[in-house]
Amino acid sequence: MIRRPRVPAPEDFTAPSHSPLVTARLGLWLAVAFGLCFGTGLLSHYIQHPPGWFTWPTRPVNLYRVTQGVHVLSGVAAIPLLLAKLWSVYPRLFVRPPLRQPIRLSAHALERISVLVLVCAAFFELVTGLFNVAQSYPWGFFFPTAHYAVAWLVVGALLLHVAVKLPVARSALSTPLRRRRAVRDAAPGPDDPDSAQRRAFLRTSAGVAGIAVLATAGVTVPWLRRVSPLAWRSASGPQGVPINRTAAAARIAVPPDWRLEILWPGGRDSLSLADLAALPQRTAELPIACVEGWSASAHWTGVPVVELLRRAGAPTGRPVRVSSLETDGLYAASTLPAPHARDPLTLLALRINGEQLSPDHGYPCRLIAPSRPGVLQTKWVARLEVLR
Amino acid sequence: MRTVRLLLFVVGSAATAYGGWLLFPQLGTALPWLIGGPVLHDVLVAPLVGLVGLALGRLVRNRLRLAWIAAGLMASATLLLIAVPLLWRPRSAPPNPGLPDRDYPLGLAVGLAVLWAAIVVVLVVATTVDRRVTDRRTDRR
Ligand code: HEM
Repeated sequence: MIRRPRVPAPEDFTAPSHSPLVTARLGLWLAVAFGLCFGTGLLSHYIQHPPGWFTWPTRPVNLYRVTQGVHVLSGVAAIPLLLAKLWSVYPRLFVRPPLRQPIRLSAHALERISVLVLVCAAFFELVTGLFNVAQSYPWGFFFPTAHYAVAWLVVGALLLHVAVKLPVARSALSTPLRRRRAVRDAAPGPDDPDSAQRRAFLRTSAGVAGIAVLATAGVTVPWLRRVSPLAWRSASGPQGVPINRTAAAARIAVPPDWRLEILWPGGRDSLSLADLAALPQRTAELPIACVEGWSASAHWTGVPVVELLRRAGAPTGRPVRVSSLETDGLYAASTLPAPHARDPLTLLALRINGEQLSPDHGYPCRLIAPSRPGVLQTKWVARLEVLR
Repeated sequence: MRTVRLLLFVVGSAATAYGGWLLFPQLGTALPWLIGGPVLHDVLVAPLVGLVGLALGRLVRNRLRLAWIAAGLMASATLLLIAVPLLWRPRSAPPNPGLPDRDYPLGLAVGLAVLWAAIVVVLVVATTVDRRVTDRRTDRR
């Protein structure tokens, strides 16, 4: 028998994995994964670009580590779920448009466009996120702003998609997956094979999502460090903590007469490294929690920023701008919001795990504050400036 | 349900429009990366998955074995995808000496080996149990 090749139609796909019962459940899981990504991503965005109404607590000290870990790991889990969902709905790509009915045709076109936006945006977020955690940027746009903008596209298009599919999804979700043997002994016998295969497909999708998470979670979950083969960062590095930006990459040259400057409205002070080391020191265990999802804890020793300000006679309880010796680059300075500036665990650290900071860790001193993204933990600090 | 759908529709349209407005300045450079995913998937990945599925269905007749091999292939493909940015590093950004800091090819190979070893173990155990059950059933007869 010779069949003429033709564009397939939805009816040509007979596998049970294409059933709406499967689609709706995968959709729900994807919505959870993308929802977690969106919520935690929005938090991270606001922490770095706080609008006036936004505050972020300083406790627990691991809070940002957890939210950003959830962000990257739910993104990783979404990869197999997205592929499984698209496989489940692949036949629908071949639905023929209702060409002769203008009104239905335009509704069909609108729906197709919104689904196209959704799929484009979903792929974009997962692919760019994955390249970003590997610190690889093979594109021309600026990652943080593009990833943020497309996040809104995903969420918007997802809401539209749910608005369109709600009736199908509701009836699919309220239909049990396991087709029970018909009432009484009308049709006794084993489970029907379609139902078993639908469940197998869903189980496999969930299992693969679990494997993907397990394979990467070592970036932030200490007891998985040795288990996860694809964790993009280990927890090791000079002095026990990984480094993103080296002193050489930031072109840092510490002047021999380096002094820490403290400025506030109406006053100034400066301290040498010896002055700083002579002040009462505090040691705290705090994580470096990178926006890329990796994190590692260390014991940091230094002077609490609030103590420094108090000794200098500067006002406390206000935001503090921390500037680096680094002259250019996005992360040459950061602003400690008032709650962080006031927190006694916010240190100007001189030592890490009992040793003097190495140049790559921010010698002569660096900022380390609880519950903050690593990019805001300014290294090679030159100046503290109390803002109004 | 109508109100819910209407609400979803309004909020969804607003969020989509906001995202589009935010993305607009970078649309030119982002567009290939937006379109690339669905195009690659629809014309390449999905047909390939379909063909592999059909071939596998012909080659492996046992349901259980088929399901586990399919699961192994899905997991392997996912691990390979996750590994792409770690293995393939186009030079567009200035190289950062602090990164990357692990032997990713080795990690990937070990991960895949463990995965398939686990699947073989599962299949062997399942087949043995299956055979025992069938034997017992035939004994009883
Ligand atoms: C990022 C998330 C999602 C993506 C990329 C996605 C993608 C798709 C695509 C491409 C289709 C085929 C469109 C068509 O019918 O022509 C579809 C259909 C569908 N989706 Fe989603 N979806 C997502 C989330 C969801 C969610 C949250 C639900 C709700 C629980 C859902 C439920 C459905 C249903 C019920 C169908 C129709 C299946 C059928 O009629 O056979 N999806 N999805």
